[in-house]
Amino acid sequence: MELTTIAQRQSKWHNLGKQINKSRFLIAMIIPAVVFYFIFCYIPMYGVLMAFTKYYPKLGIWGSLTQHFVGFDNFSLIFNSDPTFLNVLRNTVLIGFGKIIISFVSSIVVALLINDLRMRRFKKTAQIIVTFPHFLSWVVLAGFINALFSRTGVIDDIIVALGGNRINFLSNGNFFLALIFSSDVWKEAGWSSIIYLATMAGISPELYEAADIDGATRFQKTWHITLPGIKPTAVLLLILSVGGILSAGFDQIFNLYNPLVYDNVDILDTYIYRQTFQEMINPGIGTAIGLFKSLVSFVLVVVVDRVAKLCGERGII
Amino acid sequence: MEKKERHCLPKLPLRPHGTSNNQRFGGLDIFIFIILLLYVIAVIFPFYNAFVISISSESAYYNSDLLLWPQDITFEAYQSVFTNSAMWKGLGITMVLLIFGTAYQLFFTVITGYAMSREKWFGKNFVMNMILVTMFFGGGLVPYYYLIKDLGLYNTIWVMIIPGAIDTFNMLLMRNYFASLPKELEESARIDGANDVQIFVKVYLPLSLPMLATVGLFFAVGNWNSWYNGMLFVENSDLKPLQLVLREMIASISSSVESPTSKTYSEGLVMASIFFTIVPMMCFYPFLQKFFVKGIVVGAIKG
Repeated sequence: MELTTIAQRQSKWHNLGKQINKSRFLIAMIIPAVVFYFIFCYIPMYGVLMAFTKYYPKLGIWGSLTQHFVGFDNFSLIFNSDPTFLNVLRNTVLIGFGKIIISFVSSIVVALLINDLRMRRFKKTAQIIVTFPHFLSWVVLAGFINALFSRTGVIDDIIVALGGNRINFLSNGNFFLALIFSSDVWKEAGWSSIIYLATMAGISPELYEAADIDGATRFQKTWHITLPGIKPTAVLLLILSVGGILSAGFDQIFNLYNPLVYDNVDILDTYIYRQTFQEMINPGIGTAIGLFKSLVSFVLVVVVDRVAKLCGERGII
Repeated sequence: MEKKERHCLPKLPLRPHGTSNNQRFGGLDIFIFIILLLYVIAVIFPFYNAFVISISSESAYYNSDLLLWPQDITFEAYQSVFTNSAMWKGLGITMVLLIFGTAYQLFFTVITGYAMSREKWFGKNFVMNMILVTMFFGGGLVPYYYLIKDLGLYNTIWVMIIPGAIDTFNMLLMRNYFASLPKELEESARIDGANDVQIFVKVYLPLSLPMLATVGLFFAVGNWNSWYNGMLFVENSDLKPLQLVLREMIASISSSVESPTSKTYSEGLVMASIFFTIVPMMCFYPFLQKFFVKGIVVGAIKG
């Protein structure tokens, strides 16, 4: 009895050795990736323990954890006695959610327009032009927006030339919020429309031919064939974007904003950055905000994925 | 020629489905054309405006009520950009990131994607899960910052290269592409006596050149536009990449919105610097667009 067990165990180890030997090339190939993800993704995950400490860089994470453990104090601090944080959280949700909706609608509209355009050459040129801004950095866009919307900018000059009054786009919170949304559309709508265009190209032409025979108008064909045809892709992209609600676009806001509009457009990521690296508050608090953000995003992705599956769509997890 | 082009281009609709060719070009077509034309103009206008400012003199910029076309044309701004040593230093750093960073990222992303595309091997599921978890959960900025400091990468050029080794999205793109190539290739190469390395280098890599170009271009653009890691982790002004140099110039004019006296750069100079960083991209983009499009289409449909 015992002998067979040992023999079995040996052959199990033998099999394992054989398996490893067989895939040694692939294992060797994957080692850099394992090391990379371990160092740059998993060590920071261990680093979230900083959120439960008053962190001292000299002591390191473990030292801070053993000597300056504060439990959930950092969290109760940000939620109970930091009104700025709550405002920032509200801004983040508003901007993140607004961006998802606006970019969702705008990219589909652009795709429908380009898809229905019947001038081949203009279509190609237009596509090249409207997809290009995606490849600019927000640094460059900050320069553009300054040149357009500052007090000496051309938009205000046009308004004055038309008999209006100068508007301080860059220091008025509401205008600035509109600017955040519209610059996002300017930069990304053309590029995001490509996925939908590709999906539209995959819709069976027979459906359109059948609709033609039934005497459908172009609008009806769009409504009853094209839109249902891109629905799975649209749902998938929506689910993917929900996880990013609380990210709301650090690059954009960080490059565009100024102290006058912090009240309206400061988001979690910019707040963490300023608190930790400019105001020099304890890094434990910044970590706590970051951990809160990661956890909420994770839960959101899981929940939305479940809901989508319940509704009969393809999920992502 | 026509055939080759078709091979590279993803299947974008050149002709709308459901509208037969001989249908009359009607009011709706004109409406769509006008809307798209306005959209295209809205996309071009900021470029045009920046260009106008960059070649107008500073006094024209401040004195004219409405600067819709170049006035008092001067190329001073471009001259000072080309003699600005900070810009050239920044360009040098960016070129290092562009060449070495892109090669480094491409190498690690491609070998990882290849390994993940092969059929069952020991540990594959474990590694895949390890990678996927990072897409949904992360430690956040602050622990990452202290990690970089502890690793000794702070204030070195490496901090802008090393942490970018593998981009999960591009890695999955490569994996999907390798997995879509027929398995028989590997089997027949093995029968011919090829080993694992030869199969990868001589069979799969040559077949995936278009996809390598796509992923490489995404990395190249990312490196050309890189400023974030530089801003967080680099203090030495000799190590700042181009976009970061530009960012500091732009920040100086936007902070002077309220107090114009504290200005160090003129608007024209900043706009000229912007063109310094985007003209290379504007020149290449029309020819490379199909590669970028291919990447996003393949990624969307198979991912």
